[in-house]
Amino acid sequence: MTEILITRQLSRHFQPREVVQPLDLSLTRGDILGLLGPNGAGKSTILRMICGDLAPSGGSVQICGFDLLEQPREAKRRIGYLPERPPLHPDQRVDEFLYDCARLRGLSRATAIEARARARQQCDLVEVGQRLIRKLSKGYQQRVGLAQAILHDPEVVILDEPTDGLDPAQIRQVRRLIGQLAQHKAVLLSSHNLGEIQAVCNRVVILQQGRCVYQGSLTPSGQTTYRLVLEQQPRPERIAELPSLATVESHEPGVYRLTLANGKRPAEALSELMARDWGVSEFAAETHDLEHIFLQATSGEAA
Amino acid sequence: MILTLAWMEWRRFMRTPLAWITLALILALLSWSFLGALESFNKLPAASRRLGLTHHLGLQLFGLASVLMLIITPILTLRAFSDPLRTGSYALFSSAPLTDIQILSGKFLGIFLYQLILVALPLGLSLSLWSGTPLDPGLLLSATLGLLLLSVGFTAIGLSFSALSDHPGVAAAGSYGVLLMLSLLDQHTERGSFLHWLAWPSHYLDLQMGLVRIHDLVYFLTLALFFLALAWQRLLRRRQG
Repeated sequence: MTEILITRQLSRHFQPREVVQPLDLSLTRGDILGLLGPNGAGKSTILRMICGDLAPSGGSVQICGFDLLEQPREAKRRIGYLPERPPLHPDQRVDEFLYDCARLRGLSRATAIEARARARQQCDLVEVGQRLIRKLSKGYQQRVGLAQAILHDPEVVILDEPTDGLDPAQIRQVRRLIGQLAQHKAVLLSSHNLGEIQAVCNRVVILQQGRCVYQGSLTPSGQTTYRLVLEQQPRPERIAELPSLATVESHEPGVYRLTLANGKRPAEALSELMARDWGVSEFAAETHDLEHIFLQATSGEAA
Repeated sequence: MILTLAWMEWRRFMRTPLAWITLALILALLSWSFLGALESFNKLPAASRRLGLTHHLGLQLFGLASVLMLIITPILTLRAFSDPLRTGSYALFSSAPLTDIQILSGKFLGIFLYQLILVALPLGLSLSLWSGTPLDPGLLLSATLGLLLLSVGFTAIGLSFSALSDHPGVAAAGSYGVLLMLSLLDQHTERGSFLHWLAWPSHYLDLQMGLVRIHDLVYFLTLALFFLALAWQRLLRRRQG
């Protein structure tokens, strides 16, 4: 499948700190890639570099085959960008603002009017077209910001914390819209909210202090881990002595996370545990949810 | 794209009360000065009239217009860059298929479009006497050209300070500081020195009196290009981080 967005060794430093370490990304149509990381991890910096707002210190960005540094106009025509704070002109009316944005994106007058009507419809702004932007609620302002990002029908939509500060109903709406957009475009969004990424994205990049510590699917096919709860509370080292187990760790008394040794089956591990008379009260395979991936990746045990 | 941006900026500004209040004040002050100039000219005995009516208008009306230009330009330009840079709405321009020079030119033209009204008002008021008294059209055009060049130079200064600071207050203070310094250099420096050449009033006076000299045109264009280049550098540096 053709890649719409490619970054190669994209990096950025603000002397003396390297805020984004070399990063390779690729997005195809239908992708919703989430940048996940705590505040200050470099998410917004990456998005700003990809949309041309900030020059990278190293590496390259290609949008639909156009290099952002060498052919910025061609590349930027194909990008829609919603920064963390929606870039709005509060003294303008919604319709007027969207029309101006469309013209700035190089659309002709007639096309700009059509594009505005479409974006208003998609972002549910039809009723507020004649309202002043500064008089709209935060949710509506966010939607106006989203509308200006998709007005010109870009191939890549870049959204920085798109649901930040919205109420649950508005969050659901924005998520639905992102899902619709991804049917024909590539969407790159950032969030520090695990639930947000889990609900919207099909791929994730986890960042920590500017470094990519995980990149891949939300549900990787890694080694299965097992959750074990014992009535007795033996030290993890004692449990790890069992021949069917590879690793044992514990973050709270009596609750353990296990991995099996190569070729061993869960039934063997369970029978060995039962034989020790530690009082097994729970033994179950764990699903690798995003929280687990995130905790593993950011605690230095990157997948 | 530059014209689109300029038109957009002009329309946005014309939506604000500031635009209309400023226009009303300018019109009132210029009209008052125009009537005052006519009255003072009429009161002069014919024997002591060393300058014609057009010269009289050139000095008084266009003189006041230049002072008004100095006062309003930093107000018009202070928010051009500092506001969008502070609020983050600058991303609208920087992520659009526009170069920094196009953004700068669009903002410049948007403000210049508004200032054209101030440039045209003294000319319009003077021309209202056309049917009643002989006027010197060459002098009027020269003074209008002077005002036009003044607005180009002042706008460039205002834009450069607006791009330099994310805070509109600092941008305005910087613009006023440079404009006042370039005004005062005229009186406090030796005629013929480089510092005296830097002052705008003597260059403007030539044009007010109907003297269009290459060296004055070069001064205003150099002034504008220098400060526009500063603004451009600042925008480039911002993108570089």
